[in-house]
Amino acid sequence: MTITVSGLSASHSGRTILQETDVTIRPRERIGLVGASGSGKSTLGHALIDKLRAQGERSVAHVPQSPDEALDPLRSMAFHWREAERASGLAPDQARRQELFAALRIEGGDLRKRPWGWSRGMQQRFVIAMALIGTPDLLVMDEPTSALDPVVAASTMSLLENYLSDRQTALLLITHDLGLAACRMDRLMVMQTGRIVEDAPTQKVLSAPKTDAARSLCLHRSWLELPC
Amino acid sequence: MLSVDNISVRRGATVTLHDVSFGLAAGRTLAVVGESGAGKSTLIGAILGLVPCSSGQVTWDKTPVARCRPALVMQEPRSAFNPRLSLYHSAMEPLVAQRTVPDPERLNMLCQGLEIPPNLLSRRPTEVSIGQAQRVGILRALIAAPPLVLFDEPLSALDAVTQKYTARLIAELQHEAGFAALIVTHDLGYAAAFADEIAVLRAGRVEEYAASRAFVEAPRTDYGRTLRDAAFALGALERVA
Repeated sequence: MTITVSGLSASHSGRTILQETDVTIRPRERIGLVGASGSGKSTLGHALIDKLRAQGERSVAHVPQSPDEALDPLRSMAFHWREAERASGLAPDQARRQELFAALRIEGGDLRKRPWGWSRGMQQRFVIAMALIGTPDLLVMDEPTSALDPVVAASTMSLLENYLSDRQTALLLITHDLGLAACRMDRLMVMQTGRIVEDAPTQKVLSAPKTDAARSLCLHRSWLELPC
Repeated sequence: MLSVDNISVRRGATVTLHDVSFGLAAGRTLAVVGESGAGKSTLIGAILGLVPCSSGQVTWDKTPVARCRPALVMQEPRSAFNPRLSLYHSAMEPLVAQRTVPDPERLNMLCQGLEIPPNLLSRRPTEVSIGQAQRVGILRALIAAPPLVLFDEPLSALDAVTQKYTARLIAELQHEAGFAALIVTHDLGYAAAFADEIAVLRAGRVEEYAASRAFVEAPRTDYGRTLRDAAFALGALERVA
């Protein structure tokens, strides 16, 4: 079922940082939300999550940029897992946990340890696994790979996509990096100064960007083909 | 010319750098790539003399490297400055350390090259954008005209468009000033576009050393291929058809 949210907006200290915005997301869609620093990407992501949670009809999960934002350094990984199950309204289920851990290749992680007993890459995969517990309708990921080194980041994205390939979950990837969004997402929403200025299939944005913001991102997509 | 000759670094029982050697001539750029924990930051520390080497030596034109007063550009631009001081104050610190005063012409030239507007330097680090702060970080590194500049992930805190813009400013200034640049980066796209050579560091050893374009086209080692393919998978590099 399609997720439709209208009238998202946000302001901070009297300044509007997100203009009134409507968002429609179909099941299984892979959407890249791209734009420069300060264009309002994360704000839109948070506004969307808050609204969906307030409505309570569709389930939404969030993976922040750094696992530090999601994990309490004083609590064991087992505690985090139980808490995530409870938040999704689910009873503890060993099989489900094993399936998710296997999908993200973190079976070797010791749940008795605290977050810092795991590597950063494994922490981030654990956070992604937590987000997937209830198989949400929408998964919002805010720069999920920027804190990881490229080898770990690439395999994390692939494992996630494999896991989601036979599920209905839609994915919203928030990133400043058009290169990342272009090679993995099939629809792009381009943001500039608090509004979505372009929303189209990835290939369309890449081949015929309509706005300055999208043109600038496209021109600077590839390191090896920079304009002079 | 920078000569890194067979340096090893031990921390307790673990060897974090193992017999690393390479040279870097004035005007050239070397990118050091590798996973987290490969020893990239230790290498920078060893070159700057901040991390003691258990064997080997680092020299600039056959004299100890510290004598050429190498400069460092750090990863997190805002936290690289004292928050209580103006950016101008921080940016001039290399000159204070050398007991000289800023040459207005050079300052002006660098500010123009780095597109730093005149009033920006009177602000504090928290009052400017991250991209602006990083450009002032580069100004600080270049103000005393060092022959060797080390960059530790200089672009990773910036957004994709600002990264490319800043990379180009660095390259233009290097072209004018002729310093040798050693850039530690995760980003193979950046390395391929702006470095002459790439050194792949893995578990403290140089696993592969090659001309940058040749490396991204055809890595010689399995590990080099793993890194290159990760850059493909993340869109940092594009496959040449």
